[in-house]
Amino acid sequence: MNRSTLSAPPGARSRPSPGWRARLRAAVVEHPNGVLAGVLVLLVLLTGAIQPSYLSVNGMRNTLLQAAPLGILAGAQTILMLTGGIDLSITMIATAAAYVAANQSPEGAAVAILLGMGVGLVAGTANGIGVAVFRVNPLIMTLAMSGILLGLFTSWAQTVLQGSTTVAPFIKLVGGGSFLDNRIPYSVVVWGLLSLVLLWLLRRTGWGRLLYGVGDNEVAVYLAGIPVWLVRITAYTVAGILGAIAGILLAGRTGAVDLQLAGAFLLPSIAAAVIGGTSIFGGVGGYAGTILGALILSVLNSMLTFLNVGQAIQQMVYGAIVLALAWGYASLTRDPG
Amino acid sequence: MTGAALARGRTAMPRFLARHGWALGVWALLGLLLAWYSTLIPRFGQFQVVSITKNSLPLIYLAVGQAIIVIAGGIDLSLGGLLLLSNVVAARFMEGQPLGVALLLAVAILVGLALLNGLVGLVIHRSGMPDIVVTLATSYIWSGLALWILPSPGGGTAPEMRWLFTGSPSGIGGTWVTPGMMLALPVLAIYLVLRRTRLGLGLYAVGSHREAARLAGLDVARAKVAAYAFGGMLAGLAGLAMVALTGTGDPRFSVGANATLNSLAAVVLGGVALTGGAGSVIGAVAAAVILIMLNPILSAMGIDPNHAQVIQGALIAGVMMVGGLATILRERSS
Amino acid sequence: MSPPLPLLTAQGIAKSYGPVVALRSVDFAVAPGEVHALLGANGAGKSTLVKILAGVHPADAGQVFVAGRPVQFATPRAAIQAGIATVFQDPALIPDLTVDENLRLGPVDRQRFREGLDRFGLAHLDLDTRVRDLPLDLLRLVDLARAISREPRILLLDEITAALTADQAERVFELLQDWRQQGRAAVLITHRLAEVMRACDRATVLRDGQDVAVLDTQAVDEHRLIEAMLGQATQPVSSDLGSSRARSTLGPAVLQVEDLGWNQGVQGVSFQVREGEILGLVALEGQGQDRLFQLLAGQRSPTAGQIRIDGRPRRFRSPYDAVRAGVVLVPGDRQLAVLPSQSVHHNLALPLFHRLRRWMGIPPDEGRRVAEAIRRLAIDIRAGSQVRRLSGGNQQKVVIGRWLVGGFRVLLCFDPTRGIDIQTKREIYRLLRELAGAGASILLYTSELAEIPLVCDRVLVMHAGRIVDEQEAATATEASLLTAAHGLEVAP
Repeated sequence: MNRSTLSAPPGARSRPSPGWRARLRAAVVEHPNGVLAGVLVLLVLLTGAIQPSYLSVNGMRNTLLQAAPLGILAGAQTILMLTGGIDLSITMIATAAAYVAANQSPEGAAVAILLGMGVGLVAGTANGIGVAVFRVNPLIMTLAMSGILLGLFTSWAQTVLQGSTTVAPFIKLVGGGSFLDNRIPYSVVVWGLLSLVLLWLLRRTGWGRLLYGVGDNEVAVYLAGIPVWLVRITAYTVAGILGAIAGILLAGRTGAVDLQLAGAFLLPSIAAAVIGGTSIFGGVGGYAGTILGALILSVLNSMLTFLNVGQAIQQMVYGAIVLALAWGYASLTRDPG
Repeated sequence: MTGAALARGRTAMPRFLARHGWALGVWALLGLLLAWYSTLIPRFGQFQVVSITKNSLPLIYLAVGQAIIVIAGGIDLSLGGLLLLSNVVAARFMEGQPLGVALLLAVAILVGLALLNGLVGLVIHRSGMPDIVVTLATSYIWSGLALWILPSPGGGTAPEMRWLFTGSPSGIGGTWVTPGMMLALPVLAIYLVLRRTRLGLGLYAVGSHREAARLAGLDVARAKVAAYAFGGMLAGLAGLAMVALTGTGDPRFSVGANATLNSLAAVVLGGVALTGGAGSVIGAVAAAVILIMLNPILSAMGIDPNHAQVIQGALIAGVMMVGGLATILRERSS
Repeated sequence: MSPPLPLLTAQGIAKSYGPVVALRSVDFAVAPGEVHALLGANGAGKSTLVKILAGVHPADAGQVFVAGRPVQFATPRAAIQAGIATVFQDPALIPDLTVDENLRLGPVDRQRFREGLDRFGLAHLDLDTRVRDLPLDLLRLVDLARAISREPRILLLDEITAALTADQAERVFELLQDWRQQGRAAVLITHRLAEVMRACDRATVLRDGQDVAVLDTQAVDEHRLIEAMLGQATQPVSSDLGSSRARSTLGPAVLQVEDLGWNQGVQGVSFQVREGEILGLVALEGQGQDRLFQLLAGQRSPTAGQIRIDGRPRRFRSPYDAVRAGVVLVPGDRQLAVLPSQSVHHNLALPLFHRLRRWMGIPPDEGRRVAEAIRRLAIDIRAGSQVRRLSGGNQQKVVIGRWLVGGFRVLLCFDPTRGIDIQTKREIYRLLRELAGAGASILLYTSELAEIPLVCDRVLVMHAGRIVDEQEAATATEASLLTAAHGLEVAP
């Protein structure tokens, strides 16, 4: 509690000229992504200082290879977080899709990819029905879905899905290959195209507007005569399909699948969206910030690998930086008063 | 006017049912499962009771800790990380120590984690960041710290600690008395604190209606800090129980992450609303035991253990869907 | 004689919420042994002042004194400890806890609390009842009993009588009488002037965030109080509406309601709204008008009767069906209708995405339609990037403007001018008349009886779930409407 503000004479509420903090606040509120981009550049330079060879096509390529699946998974989280939801099963969906894709690879890459995406469609829609129709809390619904998928695929891996655990050459190429003299990974192109689609969906379609609306004030959208349940279900379906695509890309990168394929991406996928300025309560945010968030986390990962500090310190620094970024964002954008 | 509300005539029983119905239902389900389990296996005796009790202890503690935080309107994704921290500290430093040192260490762990997580609660309150984001970040920090303290599974524990949590100094067989007490005493203590003390009621108040609680003169910050401190302490207890159970420390990230998610599942199944302010730790305890018991039951039935995971997930989703439907129907009729 | 040292003094209190100035500079003083009324029109700043005195919000400027000592409250807790007990409009009771558990949250003298309940005729209240299960009038009395059990020096009562029966209110006034004799003070915020004249010694009148008069209730009459509250703008709504009312050539019936019912809440309601007509609806609080609107807007399904649009029977299972049929709602609570974090533009365009086939794009004429709505409603979009930053009146314009963008046949307006400044009120009424003039059908529930004749063509009066009277708006008076709303026969 500030005594001076209370006892200031009425009417004479002179505002001091805005200090650096106020100006920074204004800058962040106006251009949050600009600030994030600044952080990203800073991190890239820092990593370059640690490991000069990082500032090369090859170094960037490695980071981007890692960022592509993360960025796509974080895109799924962004869509859901905008509606006030979340998906804890997204990495299990990715793994399951990759499994199916690997198993069906002998049938040809096209069939494998389509069936893999089908897994995402079915699981995502099931999540959506649970959340939208039965009003199960999204954390719990997707947590349960994650367990169901893990159990099913562990058991199927030994029965109906026995067989191929390696993916078709085409999937390998798209997930891990590069073109233009081994400079640009195909998976980054896939991510880029998906990013354009997502940005268009969120900014330039009614569906995107409704995602924001449902997360901001569900009742208002309902009273405006819009089927909220359908908005929610389709959001989870799209998220499921994105998860499946990310899983197939990951499988392509590693060449083979196992049930731990995507698990490590769950918390980063949420963290990337949060760092990117998407509110976990819904209604605020966007995919551009998430892209930057995914890149920041990937560069951070590279940096920690170069520092060669061991996994323990890596985890701690990772957590601390996520916390610091979220805290900085929260304290700068919070409405004063 | 409002005769029904004014009359003392409406006895305590239906009200008790209305308030604790869900928890009672979960306990009834647990009873049924136990009865069923006893018919599935050739012998059901002390060994099974001890086994179920001691194996449930870590999740019970964690679920109770999560329940407190959720009741106070928060959510803590770092409880698993705190569990790891307690687990590795105990495994690293307790092995071969005399009882006095081991106990002192145990107390230090509990107090330390309570302070640590209380600080997290304060950060959440001050910063205005969502609980889920802060605890997501701290879960990495605690897990990393645990890995730093104990780089690979190993270490040990004091026999007395094993006896305390498992009923036998070797961790095999033993009496049901000590694990039973280690289950009942902390849970009962927490229940009484939550339901009978001003501090505990304050947690419900803040979780139920934060603004009304503030207007009524409650210290909202204190409630937040207290809830997270309780959660940290119980995560510490869960870590100690885990070391006692397995005899070694395990710093793997996935162990902590799974424990966190299971604690959430137990809390929700146990009838604690994720929106805060409603439910009790008693239901969460039964739900935790059910989640642990599913594995031996299904294996006794000869079901592929992988299907246990499926059934557990389907159970959680199914129960919550039924709960959601009930809410919808109730809203329709009012 | 020298006046006694005031128990509670506020000097130069100012408070803004973002761009909205709630209090400019308020001076306020309450003497010991005084019951002091705080008066003012909606939006004058009464509630804000109470919240500052009670420690809910900090003031931007100014100083509060209790018994001459400067104080500052960081939290409501601090105010309670300084001897200021407040009964807020929304009871500060926790819904998920029992009454007894609520009492245990803070220091409460059980004996005195029981005595308080006795006073209010609640001696038999079962303290083990969950707060959620108690009706509002009991909650407010419980809250009050808890407040007085803390033995405060100053009691702040925000609209305490609003939810109470006459008998309960009477008991509260008796309490205040004792209070006065004990040399304590009470501040009463109320809209009911009769109560002020009866129970209060003095009244401070707020207008536009400033104190404009301190009146001795013994020396003035109610008209003087109203004058002070309204200032120059005594005219409720400008009379220029009158000219636009003259036209009204009514078309065929658009909305026909036949024998509509919902359990006990709405019974046998029949009426019709014709093209170009504004049909008023008047009722006391809680007579089923909110249920009726929910039925018409598709939020609930009727248990009896039917709704026809253009003669065709319609069944609304959700607002989607209602909007599809052209029946749209402006709900009573703005917070149910705005998307607070979205822009004015996105808020206004929301109904464009009612049809699924519009989901995969943005209609090309969106910008034009939104701009048109902003122009017609004169919405101030300077803070338009987030609707939460707009003033209440502007937010309400956005809610109404949404349907100008979306298009409709029948507009259901539930008390659209509640808590809105006079200027905006006037604009909204003018817009409604314009819309009707262009052929819209409007059902308007309003709590501002005086304005019915200015806006409506006909008025229905609802009581206990039924339509009990119908009057021509031009001849309806406040008195005739109120009489009917109480379920009494209106003298011809």
